[in-house]
Amino acid sequence: MTRRRVLMLGAIVVVVAVVAMRYFVWWDVGARCVIGLRPSLVGYDNTTVKRALATLKHGSREDYQKVCVHVATINPNPSCGGFGGGCFWHFEGNRGRASIDVSTEHGLIWTVAIIVHETCHAIQYHEGRPAQFDLEHECYGEDDRILRALVQFE
Amino acid sequence: MIVAVILVIVLWGWLRAFAWFDPVAFCRIHIDVELLEGERGPIREAIALVRREDPLAYRALCRWVDRIQEERQCDAGDPQANPRLRGQSAIAPGVLDPALIRARAAPGCYVRGSRVIVLQRPPDDGDGPALVRTRAEALKRLAAYSQSFWLERVR
Repeated sequence: MTRRRVLMLGAIVVVVAVVAMRYFVWWDVGARCVIGLRPSLVGYDNTTVKRALATLKHGSREDYQKVCVHVATINPNPSCGGFGGGCFWHFEGNRGRASIDVSTEHGLIWTVAIIVHETCHAIQYHEGRPAQFDLEHECYGEDDRILRALVQFE
Repeated sequence: MIVAVILVIVLWGWLRAFAWFDPVAFCRIHIDVELLEGERGPIREAIALVRREDPLAYRALCRWVDRIQEERQCDAGDPQANPRLRGQSAIAPGVLDPALIRARAAPGCYVRGSRVIVLQRPPDDGDGPALVRTRAEALKRLAAYSQSFWLERVR
């Protein structure tokens, strides 16, 4: 392989790595937190999810750590929650660090709230809530709490 | 030379197209609006008003805010947390928590932990100097919230 080809190959690898890091990975070395971000097909790019994670990191360290511990992948495409919500699927594959679906349609505030809400479901699944437990009530309470803590309007 | 000039023009256009860009003050604030309904113009006018009237507030805005988003409203809580309201698509304002009502009526809000200010999208007929004035005042206040948040973290 010629020197020129090696340089071109190196440049391509660097560009791919930079794009992957910018759009498809949340990597926080200090907090030992790595979360994969699936490609978004609806035009709301993954930087909104990254901005929401950064907001949680600085605004509510405890919630951020819960996300890092319980979530491995965030899917920003619309799913059962439609364009405005999120989803957590109860299946065997989510027993370890889970995958959550998070719509970014309604901007930063709701993206933060949905991440906290779906992480709450991941925690419920990992901890095994008893039968008849109101899963949604607990998690709506969590997203309500984070909205009240972070949104300052007066 | 011509290529350099074209590059500078393209760079300038790119920096300015989706943002407030003031190179003299080293200030660039990204402005996010709805693709079809939003307008960056009135937001730029509000920032320009802050710059004219209150240089200190403008400096705080440039230093502590990196993005302004126009949204339908500010939500300072989730109405669905109340079991009586859960699942309702249209919730009468009268039954909401007063704090949520005040947040939704506010011209904007600051999201703690970020450098993002959210401005409420104006109604279709809401335009003109009054809107610019309201938003300028909101920008000053919300930039101060961001400044306080980040400075308190350092202490």
